[in-house]
Amino acid sequence: MRLPRARAVVGAMIAFGVSALAWEVFARSGSLPPAITPPLEAIAAALGRMIADGTMFVHVGYTLARIGAGLALATLVGVPLGMLMGRFKPVERFVLPLVSVLSPIPSLAWVPLFILWFGLGNTASVALVLYAALFPLVLNTWTGVCGVNRLWIRAAESMGAGSGAIFRHVVLPGALPFVIAGLRQAFARGWIAVVGGEMIAATRWGLGWVIFDSKEFLNTDVMLGSLAVIGLLGLGVERLVFAALERRTVERWGLMRSARA
Amino acid sequence: MLGLMPAKLFPGVDRIVATFVRLIATGVLPVHALSTLARLAAGFALGAVAGVIVGLLMGRSRWAEDVLLPLVSVGNPIPGLAYAPLFVIWFGLGNVPAVLIVGFAAAFPVAVNTWTGVRAVKAIWIRSAVAMGARERQLFRKVVLPGALPAVMTGLRLGLARAWRVLVAVEMLTAVPLGLGWLIFGAREFLATDVMLAGIAVIGLVGIGLEKLVFEPLERATVVRWGMLAR
Repeated sequence: MRLPRARAVVGAMIAFGVSALAWEVFARSGSLPPAITPPLEAIAAALGRMIADGTMFVHVGYTLARIGAGLALATLVGVPLGMLMGRFKPVERFVLPLVSVLSPIPSLAWVPLFILWFGLGNTASVALVLYAALFPLVLNTWTGVCGVNRLWIRAAESMGAGSGAIFRHVVLPGALPFVIAGLRQAFARGWIAVVGGEMIAATRWGLGWVIFDSKEFLNTDVMLGSLAVIGLLGLGVERLVFAALERRTVERWGLMRSARA
Repeated sequence: MLGLMPAKLFPGVDRIVATFVRLIATGVLPVHALSTLARLAAGFALGAVAGVIVGLLMGRSRWAEDVLLPLVSVGNPIPGLAYAPLFVIWFGLGNVPAVLIVGFAAAFPVAVNTWTGVRAVKAIWIRSAVAMGARERQLFRKVVLPGALPAVMTGLRLGLARAWRVLVAVEMLTAVPLGLGWLIFGAREFLATDVMLAGIAVIGLVGIGLEKLVFEPLERATVVRWGMLAR
């Protein structure tokens, strides 16, 4: 059922071509002032300008550093917590109610409060990513550990593995597909959180901040350019980083078949 | 509570509960919650209809799939909130941009899941329906639509969750007259952390309520009853 590659490429070209053309006609028709609907060349020029003077790289760098720090913290806290929940019933009984109550609260609802607690700036954004990313990681790790095939554990036990060895060689790799799926979800949620958090809580740099700041000056070309960068980065990290991570680990170990098979 | 942190910033649980009860009794929280829910309903209805239509088109026609799929897969990972300032410039402040952003954000998961669902309808069902003489319309109404419904439900569910997340944040940015996001954001100006936490609690409760009271009955009434999904 895979589409032939050429066909998909042509389809994509038609899609982007037609929507670019429609935008261009709409932008140049003069039905709305060009300050509000800049033509594509203005967007490209704004993007080029920001890349040439390096500001775009600083914005991207800050955003990636914030989401990276938040994700790293969330992984450090969430994965061990999920493992403990999966291995020890009392931990599960204590943590699960907390997680199920906190997890449906959108992370961005906390922004105003985090600003009061942590001040404007990096800490609030990183804390926001941490909050957004933590729950998918905990829940997925927990599901993964609980779902490790009992037979594998018993087989390892009967071959004389200690609990440390079972954990390292059976439970950990067995739960890994879920942990990676959790990381993926965590990134998707963290990406939303970091952009939203930067709009409200950042002070100088960041992709969310630049969009919000440009609004004050009606720089719609900068806004649309940054929006494109946000979309491309999100898609790129998902396709390159996580797909590669999956290929290197769980697919190579034969725990999960490639979806692209 | 121990005085390590200023109580103004970290109110005790008793204060939060007292504020919560007071705000509900005076009708402040219900009014804010209702206007948020109305906005959610309007935006989500828009997004769901648009998403299902796009998804069905992509699932049924190769041509539509080739053209629409690239747009959907690029648009999907952009956080809906990133559009908020742009929508404010285009549509002004208030309800219109908030509803439109919610619809826009919700449409993507609905479209992707509907598309997957339509493609996952078993070819043998379609062939047997055709063999029994079903016409194109009947095929669509009686086979494709119910067959795709579990996936469509998943999409609607994801879409609603996304809409809810975006809406709360958008209310902070577009200066709507009433709303839970606005309540929290406005309370910050007065350092009313107890009001903020009470608002956050309501947001969490509504989020759980939408899932438990809207989707589980809906699923039971349709796909579970038809035996398409074990529950």
